[in-house]
This record gives sequence, C-alpha cells and structure tokens, in this order.
Amino acid sequence: MTMTKQEFLRSAGLKVQVLELWLEQRWLVPEEEAGEPRFREIDIARARLIRQLSEDFGANDAGIDVILHLMDQLHGVRRALAELREEARRGGG
Amino acid sequence: MRNPYEVLGVAATASSAEIQSAYRKLAKKLHPDLNPGDKAAEDRFKEVAAAYDLLGDADKRKRFDAGEIDASGAEKPPQQHYYRDYAAGNHGNPYADASGYADFMDEDDPFAEMLRRSHHARANRRGQDLHYRLAVDFVDSITGATKRLTLPDGSTIDVTIPPGLVDGQTLRLKGKGAPGTGKGGPGDALIEVEVRPDRRFTREGDDITIEVPISLTEAVLGGEIRVPTATGEVSMRVPKGANTGTKLRLRGKGAPRRGGGHGDQFVRLRVMLPPEPDPELEAFVAGWKGKDYDPREGRTS
Repeated sequence: MTMTKQEFLRSAGLKVQVLELWLEQRWLVPEEEAGEPRFREIDIARARLIRQLSEDFGANDAGIDVILHLMDQLHGVRRALAELREEARRGGG
Repeated sequence: MRNPYEVLGVAATASSAEIQSAYRKLAKKLHPDLNPGDKAAEDRFKEVAAAYDLLGDADKRKRFDAGEIDASGAEKPPQQHYYRDYAAGNHGNPYADASGYADFMDEDDPFAEMLRRSHHARANRRGQDLHYRLAVDFVDSITGATKRLTLPDGSTIDVTIPPGLVDGQTLRLKGKGAPGTGKGGPGDALIEVEVRPDRRFTREGDDITIEVPISLTEAVLGGEIRVPTATGEVSMRVPKGANTGTKLRLRGKGAPRRGGGHGDQFVRLRVMLPPEPDPELEAFVAGWKGKDYDPREGRTS
C-alpha cells in the first residue's frame, strides 16, 4: 500500500518545497515505480520524526543529518542482533 | 499525574524560555525514536509531553497556576505510532544500514560468520508466496484446462488446471509470487482451486457416477444410448432387461489416476414411462401374463 507524492504530501502535512529538500538530502528515500516515487507508511512516520527533531528539539539540518544516520545504524544493529538471537534460539534448541 | 513543574524539573517561577529548554532537554533524551529499545522511555516521554502541553502554553499555564485546571486535566497527546514501530516492523526497514557493525563482519570468527550469513540472507531474501483462489467447472477439473486469473493489481496469470484435480487442491506456480531482494528470486503463487459442482456428475475418488434415464422400450429390449462423460458423449449398450438402479460401467471414463490410467464412470439407469398415460400401453399391460409380479413380495412392512 504505497502513496503517490500528492497523497504523501497530504498525509504528512508537508509543503512540496520541504519534501524536495528532504529527498535531495536523502532523508527520505521512497520506492520507485515506473519512474514515479511511491511512499510507504514508514516514510510518513519518518517525516513526522524529522519534523519533531526540527520543530520541537531545535535540531538544525546538519544535526538532523547526523541523527538520522546514527538512527539508521542503530536500527541496523538492532536488526542484526534480533537475527542473531533467532539463530541462537534455533541452534540452541 | 505529577506536578508538571516537577516533571520538567523547573521552578514555578520559570520563564517560558526556561520551560521550553527544560522540555527539549528531556524530550531529546526520552523520545521513543531516539530510544528504540527502551519501553520505559515512552511512558516518561508521554509524561513530559503532557507537562509541556500544559506549561508551554501561556494561557493553559495561567489557568493551571490559578487552580482552574489540574494536571490530570491536561489534554492527552493523541496516541501515535512512532517511527520505531515501523523501523522494527516485519517488512524490513529500508533505511536501516549495516555500517554500524560492518567491521565485525570482516573478522574471521564464528560470530562474524553468523553476521555475514544473516546479512547475506537479508540481501537475497526470497519473495513472499501469494495466495489466491480460483473456481473451475467440474468438467474442466477432470479434463484439465487453462484458466486466466486476474490479480488485484490488474495483471493476469494463466493457471494450468491439471486433469483430475480435486476440490480444494492447491496449485503452486513457481516464481509468480512477490519479488525477492537481490538474488533471492520471487516467491510462488499458491492457488487454491474450488471445483464447482455439476448437477449431472458426482465424483468419488477416481470414479464418476451419472444417472441416465431410459425408456421402457430400452429397458425391456435393450439398445444403444448416448451417455455424457467429462470428455464428451459416448455410446453405451443397455442390456436387455435393464432396470431402475442398474449400474453399468464405462471403463476408463472416470477421473485420471495419480499413478496413470483412469477411474471408471458408472451409469445408473432410471426407467421412465412416457409422461402422458398411453391407452395402448394400458391395454397391453392389462393383458400381460406377467402383470402379477410383485417387487414388494417378502417385505416386512
């Protein structure tokens, strides 16, 4: 269930100029289908988080860039940990 | 709820700038998305957010200080899904990256091997199997057929119905499922086939039964009749003296067998008199020597 750019702008409550900026920074990387971007639920949640970082926490663009990069690494590590736990469970019986 | 000034850790005389700064400091530490593994952080974050909702708004703060509203009367922030709920979802997080542990994978030990394996498995995951349902006519289920299935997205797949398929059987179309990642290859389409009943035929195992009406003349004198089968009409000889309930076998006209060959078709005869009374027939039967035959003779009831 993906969204077009228009649907995404409406759901996320974003201005098109802001979205273009975020896409350029690769803060949001939607899927692509026939040359058109398709946005997912996770992109809505990520957009909301970026707005909170900027509006509520006063993080500037450079700060948001660092935060998102570290957060993506953290989720990568958490996923690897979860998979290792699964493997350990299977292997350990 | 606790006193919102205590929650934010500010004095009752704090300026609005101090309150905002205190909130930001706490929120940065407690925000669920910045603490993806910490369940307690979410509760504390909610408390802090509620306190700030009250004190961060000059009007609400004034009414709270005047005792007009109490802390628990503060608006609850709407229940929201955090980014971490999606980031940890089953469908995988497209943003998560492996750079946080890439160096561990370069080592030469069992742990690195496990990391490499799961990393590889994720990069080359087979696509999901997709499930569909399809209804086919009884005759097609016996003879086999090709049916076109239209998918929700408008695309179509051609499904080959193998001869002899049974109701509820699932067909697997390799590679017609969801696409995989990397070298994972797509999943399969699993199609559960429902066989629509046919009012003429019933099937039991590999055998098929059909009921066929015959005339009095055919019953008494025998003769050739045409009988439908799943593969078309065939000729069949009715023996002299056939009766209602007589079962005749058409060898090899049933459903295909799994190991080769076919089941049989059984033809159950039913003798039918002409629909209208026939004076000539009445006169004949009245003068018939065998008219006293009693099929109920010997019955107890």
